[in-house]
Amino acid sequence: MVYLMTFHWSWLLASLLLGLAIGWIAVVHRGQGVPRRTSWWLAGLVAALVAVALARLIPGRPGYWLDLALLMFASYLFGCAVGSWLRAWALSRDAPA
Amino acid sequence: MQEFFKWSSKWWPGVIPLVMFWAIAAWTSTSPLETDLAARSTSALKDTVLDKRRIAVAGRDVTFAADAFSEDGRRSAVASVEAVPGVRLVNDETRLVPEAKPFVWSAERDVVRVTVGGNAPLPASKGRLLEAARAGLAGVEVVDQMNMSRGAPPRFENAALLLLDQIGKLKDGKVTISDNKVSLSGMARDLGGREAIAAALKNLPEGFSVAANEIKAPPYIFQAYKDPVAVTLTLTGYVPDNNVHAAVAAAAGRKFFSEKVVDNLKASVGAPGGFAGAVVPVLGALSRLSTGTLEVSDREVKLSGDALYDAAAAQIRAGLGKDFPQGWQFKADISVKPAAAPVDATVCQQLFSDLLAKGKIRFESGRATIDPDSAGLLDRLVETALRCPTANIEIAGHTDADGEDAFNQTLSEKRAQAVTDYLVKAGLPANRFTAVGYGSSQPVASNDTDQGKAQNRRIDFVVR
Repeated sequence: MVYLMTFHWSWLLASLLLGLAIGWIAVVHRGQGVPRRTSWWLAGLVAALVAVALARLIPGRPGYWLDLALLMFASYLFGCAVGSWLRAWALSRDAPA
Repeated sequence: MQEFFKWSSKWWPGVIPLVMFWAIAAWTSTSPLETDLAARSTSALKDTVLDKRRIAVAGRDVTFAADAFSEDGRRSAVASVEAVPGVRLVNDETRLVPEAKPFVWSAERDVVRVTVGGNAPLPASKGRLLEAARAGLAGVEVVDQMNMSRGAPPRFENAALLLLDQIGKLKDGKVTISDNKVSLSGMARDLGGREAIAAALKNLPEGFSVAANEIKAPPYIFQAYKDPVAVTLTLTGYVPDNNVHAAVAAAAGRKFFSEKVVDNLKASVGAPGGFAGAVVPVLGALSRLSTGTLEVSDREVKLSGDALYDAAAAQIRAGLGKDFPQGWQFKADISVKPAAAPVDATVCQQLFSDLLAKGKIRFESGRATIDPDSAGLLDRLVETALRCPTANIEIAGHTDADGEDAFNQTLSEKRAQAVTDYLVKAGLPANRFTAVGYGSSQPVASNDTDQGKAQNRRIDFVVR
């Protein structure tokens, strides 16, 4: 894991920045969100993929690509969370003023 | 929290560029990652002794195949690859090096190369063996056909190094170690090489023994050529040591009374047993030939040439080889020189005088037994006597003045008679010869000096 992070730090950073940007926008976005039921399904899918990766069920290159995808996705989600939270915090600070 | 879920439901658009990032990352990084992991795995195994190591990386999974030299070594090699950071799975395709039974190693030399083959216990010892072969055989190509195997006997490497040392002493041949038995075959490069190898084999490490040593030595050659035109005797080849060399040279000087001895002999070990005992008598036989070649190759003696008359040829064929040392063989290819043209009595006398001026008929001290060294001279006298069949010849015996006159008189008569007997045995009619003894009554030099006495002790041929 540490090895993958050091080897791919640039891609992880890119995912993180992407996440930050999307998270920042998401707070004020007026478009359609993912329905609750679908998001549970997606969460279940991601959990299943994480389980497969941890169990090392997929061999060779596809296994590596899965690991890489999950890491980038985790980095993206973290970026989104931080971005959204920052935007929310910024808005709440501006509102009273 | 409720809000957080609301925001997160709107995070999905970023997944599209994220997937693109992922595709690019996977596309560009897979190959460098695999290369990096392969390098790290290889360096993790740097200090581990393995044969036929093969590392293949697919994604983060390493397929590791190798032959290990022990179970512990095999396990620790797999563990060190597993411990490499970034490696996800190790497909363990390692196995133990096969055990050889019997453990056979060999080195074979032919004209241009040395082929080292069979089993070697470890890559390091294989390397040392090849290095030793290259160092010991400068300029000879060394071909490696060794395989790794377990089951080498203790101290195998020392034994193999010692044998590689011996390969240098061979012209061609093969050395083999089978478990702890050593066998050698082939031809030594030099005289004495076989003996040197046999001596070196005494230093084989403990536990090893020689099963077969079939190293042959190159033939031990001694040659002598009597050239009647140049009046020389040429000696070439080998003699065992300086003492034998001196003895052979002295014998040649005595037996070849008129020839100049050209001595090209070299001393070398490796002579067959009884060398001097065989060579000295056969030189005597050569001295009786008009022209002849003597070839001694190991224990085989070949004498060829022309005898001076029939009886001499028969005597040489029959007589020699009887008193040879055990195991020696004698082959004679003796023909008879065509008889020389007859001459009249005066010329005959001249020829006798010439011969007797060059050499003297020798006897055992104080006795009438002819010294075998004089056979060559006697044969020449016989040949001359055959050329004047009508002449009657007086064989005159003389002594020096030492001792009693009566004894000297008898001795001179007996010696003259011994020479006459020799001539008769050679086929000359007895009635042509008169044996006369003069004792010390007709000195040709002073009896006061040893040199003079030696001149006075003589046999003269006088044509009547």
